[in-house]
Amino acid sequence: MAVSSKEINNILSEYFNIIDLYFGSIKHHLGKDEDSHIDLATHMARYPLVSDLIIDAIDDIDEQINDFWQKNLKLVVEYVKQQDSLKCLYSGDISPVILENFVKRSAFYIDTVILADPIYNLTLFQKQIILDRKYYLQKLIRHVFNIWKLKDLALLDSPHKVILILPINLHLVNQEDRNGLIATADQNLAAYVGRVLDVKLESGEACLDYLEKETTADGLFKQFKHPELLPRVFASQESFQEFLTDFSNTGKFAKFKEKESVGWDFGIYLRSQFIRVQEHKYFCEKLVAEPIYDYELPWFFFNYEMGGVDMDAAIATALQSEKFNWISKVPLSAITVMRAENKLEYMRSVLRQGVTDLKAKKDKDLIVVGEQVEANLKDAFAKQDSEIGVLQAQVNKIVRKDIPITSAGFFAGFIPPPYGTVVSLLFAGRDIKKSLSEKAALEKTINQKNKNFINLLLRSYERKD
Amino acid sequence: MNEKIDFDFFGDGMRIFLDYIHRQFKKNPDYMPHPLIRAFECAIQGAEKAKVGETFMGVSQNGTPTNVCNPFIVVLEKLESGVGVKEIRNIKVDKTVPIDVMLIIFRLQILLDRIEGDCVTPAQMVDSLNAVIPCNKFYALGDRWKEARDEFKKLLEAGKIHIPNDPDLIDGLGRITYNMPWEEYPNKIRALIGMSIAQTMDPKGGIVVITSPKDAKIEKFKVFDSATEFLLGKTAEYLFKTPVK
Repeated sequence: MAVSSKEINNILSEYFNIIDLYFGSIKHHLGKDEDSHIDLATHMARYPLVSDLIIDAIDDIDEQINDFWQKNLKLVVEYVKQQDSLKCLYSGDISPVILENFVKRSAFYIDTVILADPIYNLTLFQKQIILDRKYYLQKLIRHVFNIWKLKDLALLDSPHKVILILPINLHLVNQEDRNGLIATADQNLAAYVGRVLDVKLESGEACLDYLEKETTADGLFKQFKHPELLPRVFASQESFQEFLTDFSNTGKFAKFKEKESVGWDFGIYLRSQFIRVQEHKYFCEKLVAEPIYDYELPWFFFNYEMGGVDMDAAIATALQSEKFNWISKVPLSAITVMRAENKLEYMRSVLRQGVTDLKAKKDKDLIVVGEQVEANLKDAFAKQDSEIGVLQAQVNKIVRKDIPITSAGFFAGFIPPPYGTVVSLLFAGRDIKKSLSEKAALEKTINQKNKNFINLLLRSYERKD
Repeated sequence: MNEKIDFDFFGDGMRIFLDYIHRQFKKNPDYMPHPLIRAFECAIQGAEKAKVGETFMGVSQNGTPTNVCNPFIVVLEKLESGVGVKEIRNIKVDKTVPIDVMLIIFRLQILLDRIEGDCVTPAQMVDSLNAVIPCNKFYALGDRWKEARDEFKKLLEAGKIHIPNDPDLIDGLGRITYNMPWEEYPNKIRALIGMSIAQTMDPKGGIVVITSPKDAKIEKFKVFDSATEFLLGKTAEYLFKTPVK
């Protein structure tokens, strides 16, 4: 049974209607900044009495979202499987910090970003383990409005959905497979910690017991016999200490802090990462999707487990690194332009140049891949610049003759001169009629090139500092 | 935080609760909103036809014309654009309802809606009140009534209890036997025992002991009456040394 894009749009519309039904009364407080969802969540959670009223009033959203997915899950999964396209499944946090930026970076390389439904995960699973109601409310509002801000893009009528939302959770995996995934995660945890500490650990449980004995961050750090196997953030004592403090602090809000030991907390963190990797791998296989991350730590553990990832996953994740922060400045409409021009495949071919599966697999920190992708973009920009430059020189030649000109801003000041200049005619004599039509044709081409998504990217890159 | 968000305590609270009611109607078309909201709706209907500057009042309650429960009035003024709220008042305690109390009433309604049927048990009543009224002052006596009875007897014999000069109360006390089931105690006696032992639970005071028998069925609207009394009535002076915030 073929599932149409229209059917998926109807389902997504229903999803956004649920958000509106439960959070519509506060949406007018959402600001325009890219992190306004974080601001709104913080303010709402601190709102005396009203925060309690919201928590009580939306308490049944879990039933609503569960019913929604009971009704629609099969169809959406079917649609995802049908799509012969490059899909990436996000894993890292409940949703990316600023989803808009994440999607901008992803949408220039991949067809569809699949996100785990934050409402599903927070209301049906995390609510039970979060001890502080306000902390729960803050998380819920933050992630709900993170998605709400991209409603228009999610509902965009395009051959491949830019964003898809699905319930992704280990609890959705059948009991047998779930037990298998957890057992594998525990085995891999024991093997990994055993290698780092240079001790023999038989099981996940033995690993936690061993780590529990260490009650200070200093002591734990000194036990690392092979620090080269650790993520960068654990490599220095200071950053390791800072990480542990932050992680232990979240224990004040959630039910994982069963024991007062730094080693225990660290073990629980590592175990959660190894389980998440198994879960992510499982769903990537089921949905025929590539993994994508925006956090270094979860990426590290996935990469470690998989022994590296292939080219597409590496490029998609490399685009999320700091090096490409400038892409956040590209207007969201650029994605619409690119999709409308059907240029995703071209963009992909630009970014893939010089990157191979083998190269990607070896590059665990994505430094080489990131540099190559940046170089590829620079080449594309230079080519674009030079093409527009040649055309502009021809226009200037005609203009210099005797045509009075005025200039106007293009794209509301987004694109700076000279490419943002539109030449408009106030007067023209019969003798320059031919030149005018030539000029008009050239201008049209320049205009098209200016609107081209590569150009939009180029402008953001130029303004990155 | 980068952006300043201007909150509107009344408007935000009202919008959130109205959205909640809207969702309840979707689930159950026969859903009956709280009288405060019904009074609000009546007043809005009146204000629609009014001239600018005119005021309109809506009234609603949960009981019957002879047994008024949970009664509210809402007074609105027609403005150039929309309406302004002049007053929200509980007629039983005859006091204006401050915004914080209004939000507590909304929350209480939501919690009581989660309990099926028109009635609640004393334990459910106490849980709901403790969840919404700050400081957790309510206690359901339940099975501990025998301890309470014995404690009351001790206090009475020690002359530590002042018995109000109420013939019914004195008569009722005289008819109590050791084997009398708690359900057969007159309401006034149960309340007196509850009040007396509350002082032993917290010498600083402020504890309200709900003495209804464990399996008693309390109509939900009576819980609102109790809550309004605890928040705005005479009991509020006993319960809260400082206003609810």
